[in-house]
Amino acid sequence: MINKDDIELNKTAKEIVNQLSVVLRTSQIHDPNNVAVTSVIDKMIVMINSLIAVERVIALELKGDFFYVNDARIRFALEYLLNFDFLVREFKKRELGSVIFKDKLRPDDIKTFIAAFIASGFSSSPFDLISEKVFDLNSLSVERLKKNIVESGSVEPRKMVKKTYFNAVSYTKGVINKIKSGEKVNIKKAKRVIETMVDQILEQEQLLIGMTAIKDYDEYTYHHSVNVSILSIALAQRLGLNKKLLTELGIVAIFHDIGKMEIPNEILNKPSNFSDDEWKLIRKHPMWGVRALLKLRKLDELTIKSAIVSFEHHLNYDHTGYPRVKKKSGIDFLSRIISLADQYDAMTSSRVYSRIPMSPDKALSLMVERSGTQLDPLLMKFFVNMVGIFPVGTLVMLNTRELGLVYESNQLFGARPRVMLIIDKEGKRTQGNVVDLTEKNDQGEYLRTILKTMDPNKYRINLAEYLL
Amino acid sequence: MTDYSVGDDIKKARDIVQSLTKSKKIVRMYPENNPIYINTLEEHYNKFKDFFYYKDDLKLLIRQNEILYESEVVYTSSEKEDNIALFFFKDGIRELCFKKGLPFDELESFLRIISIDDNRNELDDDIVTLFWEKDFQKIQHVVDELFLTDDEDYESKAVTEVKDKSEKEDNIFQAYEDALSEREEVKDASIVPLSDKDLQQLLQELDEDGLDKTPKLVDILFEMIFLSETAGDYDDLAGSFMAAVEFAVSRGDIQLASKILFRLKQTIDGEALADDVKKQLRRVIIFSGSDQVIGLIGEVLDSGQETQEKNFEEFTRYLDKNAIVPFMKILGELKTIHARKFVIDALIQLGNKDILLLARGLNDSRWYVVRNIIYILRKIGDKKAVDYLLKTVTHGDIRVRKEVIMTLGELGGTGVLQALRDCLDDVEIQVRTASLKALGNIGSEAAKRIILNKINDKPFKDRDFEEKKEFYEALARWNDSEVRDFLIETLRQSSFFGRSKNYEKRACAAHALGICGGKDVLPILNKYKNDGNKEFRESVRGAIKRIEHDK
Repeated sequence: MINKDDIELNKTAKEIVNQLSVVLRTSQIHDPNNVAVTSVIDKMIVMINSLIAVERVIALELKGDFFYVNDARIRFALEYLLNFDFLVREFKKRELGSVIFKDKLRPDDIKTFIAAFIASGFSSSPFDLISEKVFDLNSLSVERLKKNIVESGSVEPRKMVKKTYFNAVSYTKGVINKIKSGEKVNIKKAKRVIETMVDQILEQEQLLIGMTAIKDYDEYTYHHSVNVSILSIALAQRLGLNKKLLTELGIVAIFHDIGKMEIPNEILNKPSNFSDDEWKLIRKHPMWGVRALLKLRKLDELTIKSAIVSFEHHLNYDHTGYPRVKKKSGIDFLSRIISLADQYDAMTSSRVYSRIPMSPDKALSLMVERSGTQLDPLLMKFFVNMVGIFPVGTLVMLNTRELGLVYESNQLFGARPRVMLIIDKEGKRTQGNVVDLTEKNDQGEYLRTILKTMDPNKYRINLAEYLL
Repeated sequence: MTDYSVGDDIKKARDIVQSLTKSKKIVRMYPENNPIYINTLEEHYNKFKDFFYYKDDLKLLIRQNEILYESEVVYTSSEKEDNIALFFFKDGIRELCFKKGLPFDELESFLRIISIDDNRNELDDDIVTLFWEKDFQKIQHVVDELFLTDDEDYESKAVTEVKDKSEKEDNIFQAYEDALSEREEVKDASIVPLSDKDLQQLLQELDEDGLDKTPKLVDILFEMIFLSETAGDYDDLAGSFMAAVEFAVSRGDIQLASKILFRLKQTIDGEALADDVKKQLRRVIIFSGSDQVIGLIGEVLDSGQETQEKNFEEFTRYLDKNAIVPFMKILGELKTIHARKFVIDALIQLGNKDILLLARGLNDSRWYVVRNIIYILRKIGDKKAVDYLLKTVTHGDIRVRKEVIMTLGELGGTGVLQALRDCLDDVEIQVRTASLKALGNIGSEAAKRIILNKINDKPFKDRDFEEKKEFYEALARWNDSEVRDFLIETLRQSSFFGRSKNYEKRACAAHALGICGGKDVLPILNKYKNDGNKEFRESVRGAIKRIEHDK
């Protein structure tokens, strides 16, 4: 059956990527002729040569954080996570985008590649060095890492992402209003909305995460629910959850704050700090959420997960937070994921935690400080990698005396996102010019580098005006 | 392969689409190893293969009541049911595209999805979700997402609004000035690498996340007892506990259901809670013994799932007497002996709480239920049940009469002797024998008198020899001087009239003396060991042998 062949092919491709990582890791420790190295090389050669016999050419390419073999994305496999992670980092460090196997491999070919790969780690132009060293090989070649998955001109993905985002907000608004008025809720629709988000996160993760930077304070509840859902799905896909579980998580996240619908809007949208009595009410929303969710539909696994998260999303990793519980059992895995997403979005939105919103990078560094106490340290590692060093919406000053907003994170080079300039080097207002910080001049120097980050809220900059 | 001519693809497309309805029905009706199922699928698959010989894909446009290929209608129907176009259309599918290289497995999965009952409103997944979850490689679909939102124009309105909310004047130049004047530079941050330990921890987390989360929800509900404040809160909370019990039982997790009830009892008895709160929590226990939950218990028991006796016993222990009637109800409906045994044990445990309620089961129209209830009453051993049991002594089914006689024998009490005496004249030998045994079990003087009187009754001699033997055997149970004297006297009694019947009587007496034992009767028995009547002689010899053996 073709299907089984496809599965086999995917499995082999996955194993090749894994084996390449094993070869490189082993080679960094042992001499090339050490049996530990030669045995892993031999294994890799068998894998590649048997696949070449069928496919003729095997192109292994890094796009974003994912590997592709002959343009087919290698699906995530948890057992290979560490090796994949290692390979992604090492490829990025060397600006190595593709390794193309074109003919039957011999051990010496692989050894040449390994030697070049190791040497490039100490070079200022690592890719050029690898490229030069493997130039004479007939069996393999390399290509430089492509700068961005979404090219500057590609408006379509952005449009689609925007549509998905607002569809989700609209659905959330509709569903919350329905619950408020005691109407029945259609879970099928929720699934459909979230499935689209999951698809987009798998394909255009950073674009959808970027949408969470847009805050609409009048529609805060709905935007917040969707933002938490997006951030949770994005985090969980890095943790290896499958599509079905990601959808469930996304739905659970949409409903995490459902208990707040019982809190009067005057309190929720109050421009000043909460009084003690108001805080008392706010602290009840996790329990009210459980009640609302359990009344909403017949008990099933999804409702149970939703109720648990609703109850626990303000309970911290160290069991501080609220509501106060008698029995301190471990906080649920999904609750910890959603709690991270919730805190990040709330901090950068300024509603409950503080009256003043934080800039995305400040929020992230505060969360890093809380890692291990209030926040799960393991999940936090994944979260930082996901959001990036300069999340979308960060106000940045460049070394060119230009001021801009991070428009799109760069997963390959975290410190070099795409930036929308809002003040040019003459100090004049400008808008719409998006620059890529990975661009270099003829001397190989970067054209622009971020000097410092600033808080867009402090200067009343409406991100929506620039990013939508 | 047939030769291709213009328009052939449309014919083939029509054939494929129209076959969908047939395949849908077959897949729904037959198991996958059935030849009809296999043939239909293969036939359908070959049609696709044939089509892809000339074309790379089969793109179908879906309209409410028709399906189009290359602008040609290849399917049309105005029916509400069995309308394949409407079937896809109502879930938002507007285009379906089958690609060359469509694997058999994928086609089968596709057909299995579309063969799900048309009345799928009750399911949580629509067709699009099911397709999405399968992640088909060669079947693509285009959906209309508009119906997902209530407001079709939400996006443009929302974008305009959020942009309009821009502050009249931002401080962008102030930001620029500040940026130039402050000297702080960004630190070079990098991606956080993961360690082996991280991965192991993550794997463990994912494993644990796959476990059933109902116990966690239950913990939360118990926390909520102490967080709730209003009567409404507690009313809702009780409802949630009920749902949790029902959910656990429906999944066969009787252990969790028991734990919930155990903790509720502990909370009701041990925590300083208001009476109203306790009342609400008790509602959960009452609900756990309702028709709804006990009906589910029955389904679990009959399903053959492994039900641990201990968990089931524990669950029953926490139930209230309201569970008696639902348990009796399912007792008559269960299919397996194994399941009935569980329920009988449950009723033995619960019946104590209201014996009269349990006794109502004696009026059940099904004889086997009545017999089970009698058995349960006997095991409980409460004499209050006797009056109800006596009414079943005349039950139409002999198996019930036997059971009730045995039970009455064990329970004793007023009215029992009279009933048993009457049963000694029952038309069924099994009933008469059971009554005899019951009287023997009672062992009272009055019981003895009944048997003695019956033996001395004139018609007694006409009973079968084996039955008469049973009467004497029963009498031997008392083994007092009166009985021994009676037996010895009967043994010695000779008669010229009705000699054969008399020998039978004497043989019975000899047999009974053998049961009574005691070497003092040996000389008397020895006198008759060579008697001319074979039946009598053998009984005497048997008795002697028994007594000597016992010595």
